[in-house]
Amino acid sequence: MVHPIHLDNLTLGYERHPAVHHLSLTLAPGSLVGVVGPNGSGKSTLLKALARLLQPMQGQVHGLTGQRIAYLPQHSEIDRGFPIRVADLVAMGLWHEVGALGGLTRGQRRRCEDALQTVGLGEFGHRTLDTLSGGQFQRALFARLLLQDADLVLLDEPFAAVDTRTTQDLLAILSQWHRAGKTVLVVLHDLPQVMTHCPEALLLARSAVAFGSTHDVLTPVNLQRARRMTEAWDESAPVCQDAMAFPESPAPVSHREVMP
Amino acid sequence: MNGTAMALPPSIWLHWLGLAPFAEFGFMQRALLGCLALSVSASPIGVFLMLRRMSLTGDAMAHGILPGAAVGYLLSGLSVGAMTLGGLMAGLVVAIGSGLVARSTVMREDTSLAAFYLISLAIGVLIVSWRGSNVDLLHVLFGTVLALNNDALWLMVGVASITLLGLAVLYRPLVLECLDPVFLRSVSCWSPVAHYGFLVLLVLNLVAGFHALGTLMAVGFLVLPAAAARFWVREITALLVLSSLFALLASVAGLLLSFHADLPTGPAIVLSLGALYLGSMFVGRQGLLCQRPSLQPHLKA
Amino acid sequence: MTIRRRLLVALLSVVTLHTTTAGAQTNAPQVKAVATFSILGDVVRQVGGDRVDVFTLAGPGEDAHVFTPSPSHARTVADAAVVFSNGLGFEGWMTRLIRSSGYKGLHTVVSQGVEAMKENRKHGHGHSHGHHDPHAWQNPKNVMLYVGNITKGLCEVDAQGCDSYQANARAYTERLRELDREVHAAWNGVAAGRRKVITSHDAFAYYGQAYGVQFLSPQGVSTEAEASARGVARLIRQIKAENIRALFVENISDPRLIEQIARETGIQSSGVLFSDSLSDERGPAATYIDMVRHNTAALIDAIASQ
Repeated sequence: MVHPIHLDNLTLGYERHPAVHHLSLTLAPGSLVGVVGPNGSGKSTLLKALARLLQPMQGQVHGLTGQRIAYLPQHSEIDRGFPIRVADLVAMGLWHEVGALGGLTRGQRRRCEDALQTVGLGEFGHRTLDTLSGGQFQRALFARLLLQDADLVLLDEPFAAVDTRTTQDLLAILSQWHRAGKTVLVVLHDLPQVMTHCPEALLLARSAVAFGSTHDVLTPVNLQRARRMTEAWDESAPVCQDAMAFPESPAPVSHREVMP
Repeated sequence: MNGTAMALPPSIWLHWLGLAPFAEFGFMQRALLGCLALSVSASPIGVFLMLRRMSLTGDAMAHGILPGAAVGYLLSGLSVGAMTLGGLMAGLVVAIGSGLVARSTVMREDTSLAAFYLISLAIGVLIVSWRGSNVDLLHVLFGTVLALNNDALWLMVGVASITLLGLAVLYRPLVLECLDPVFLRSVSCWSPVAHYGFLVLLVLNLVAGFHALGTLMAVGFLVLPAAAARFWVREITALLVLSSLFALLASVAGLLLSFHADLPTGPAIVLSLGALYLGSMFVGRQGLLCQRPSLQPHLKA
Repeated sequence: MTIRRRLLVALLSVVTLHTTTAGAQTNAPQVKAVATFSILGDVVRQVGGDRVDVFTLAGPGEDAHVFTPSPSHARTVADAAVVFSNGLGFEGWMTRLIRSSGYKGLHTVVSQGVEAMKENRKHGHGHSHGHHDPHAWQNPKNVMLYVGNITKGLCEVDAQGCDSYQANARAYTERLRELDREVHAAWNGVAAGRRKVITSHDAFAYYGQAYGVQFLSPQGVSTEAEASARGVARLIRQIKAENIRALFVENISDPRLIEQIARETGIQSSGVLFSDSLSDERGPAATYIDMVRHNTAALIDAIASQ
């Protein structure tokens, strides 16, 4: 059961500096949203919060409980030198079925092979991680995502440092997920890609500049507004007064203002 | 385990293989048993240690357990049992404390552990000096492979059993915790269990190893077999199995070397491990010699 | 005189008597001496008497082979008038301690003039100490030489007390001679072929040489060294072949190795021997002479009871 996700006056940040400032919007179930914005606009931070890896400074996210969430971070902390086979890495995607102790049934093993086939790594099961190129590794991670069969998929710049051919193949999988009714948020820096493949877009510049259908969002006016956002945090910014204006929110962390 | 009862009738095969000393002497059999327990227990832990880049932990921990041993000494005198128990507590505090810090702050695991063990060692030296006695506690605490009494053997076997069981249960979470901790945290709550569980197993193996076999052997079995195996296989289950086999092989070689060439036993075993490591570095499949492309014909594209 | 006046006179006399006696008693200790370990400390005390305040570095129950001095020890050495050490490689830490304490006074090596035995190489391999067996004190005749060197040292730093030191030395040497006779007599009652004992480390070679007793051990002359499987095997074979049943643990070492040998050969430990250190005051080896007596009695009992 896929639920809509409400972001309620969400403020996220580090050391009192908000990376995402008072963001409020609703993600309809099954939407495929391209998240764009200049550097430092809070895109990765937003995804981290949705993946429940980051506590909000203020505000809440509703609708995440009970959902299976798959998250692909931008800079993978995966130890590429770890002595494990591709097949075993991909099989970890079935954790929600197998758990820490269970073994893989023949059916599950076949699904792993199918996933590898889908991403074009059909013969790579026995290879170890250190023999994969960047593109091949990213494909393997997508195969794992496929097996996770999550309701909410969060992808942070999945095609950075990946060749065009791989990008096209993986974008096709994104469409597959969309058709299957999953909610997908993907951070991309390639605007044409967003316009072609994402029906909805979120233009983020700490707060939402625009959110909705891609063509309405990615207008020159909006893009101009977003570009005016300064990248650096202002050390001398005063404490944000809005933080005090919503007392019913769970213990807000006092944070600084965001200067335009 | 009465020495005379365990002596098997001399067999021609044993003599031929050079394994006669094990048939004749109870203490050699016990030494081998102790080494077997350490091989199946410490070597797999050592593989994970190597993959987590914590190989120097063992030596650090040998010093970090001092305050526990010191308190044990204060309470019960030169009782090896009391000091081992104290050492175990101190080791657990150091390991778990540093794990906690590493998980909840910016501090990385290796520095966290170093900080904790140094503080622990300083406290230990303080306790020892304050009470005025100059018994070298750690010298007394550390055993030798030739002197394994029943208590020490049961301790080793017990720890080996707990370790094998623990690794069997924690295998998948532990692999993920090393490989992709973010993923593990996103799909399950096993991350802290795997992390702390591993640290507990590490301390158990170290302290039991110190007590029964001394620092050199305990740390040696942790580091060297895993390192040697790394030159031969590239997959983790193979690493775990091969490191244990290497450890056992080196134990037999070292014990025989100590027997026939009159060398002190602990060093002889660790040197055998070292020779295995150096040999593997050259002739192993991932070793120096095999990296030369001319030696391996390549496949068609 | 009235009774009260008589009592007053008596009281005054008593007080005067006590104060003058106190004043006329032998003086408070004049000389601060440091001895490196408990056995040596006892001998120095015997020679020094009341005039010498002896401080021991490695006390009863401590192993001087692996002793690590602390800053308070350095302070003690710095304050000393004279330092006595055994020598023969026993105190590997001594040079550094003397250097770090800045001590510039007299350092007497008491084993000077002793006919040193070579380390028994059969059982273990060498270590940093050098090649002599340091346990010369196990032979009372050597301790008589120690006494001579100690007396010389004390006389050098305290000429005033030299007479008293020499008197003490003579008396103690006489006791040592008597001890030596006693031990010889005790061993005469034991057949030469049966005089074989197993101990933890090679500490009793001098005793063995003096009284014709063979001591076997798995560890060499230092407790710091490690035993080899061959050494242990050889010992076990010998024990079984010659049916040696006297096995002793020592007060300073980890008994586990010797217990392993006992287990394998089916022998029960016959007790504790004091090798490199005295026991505490309540124990059976509180002084050197007590120690030798205890060791001798224990050894002979063990062999005789076979």
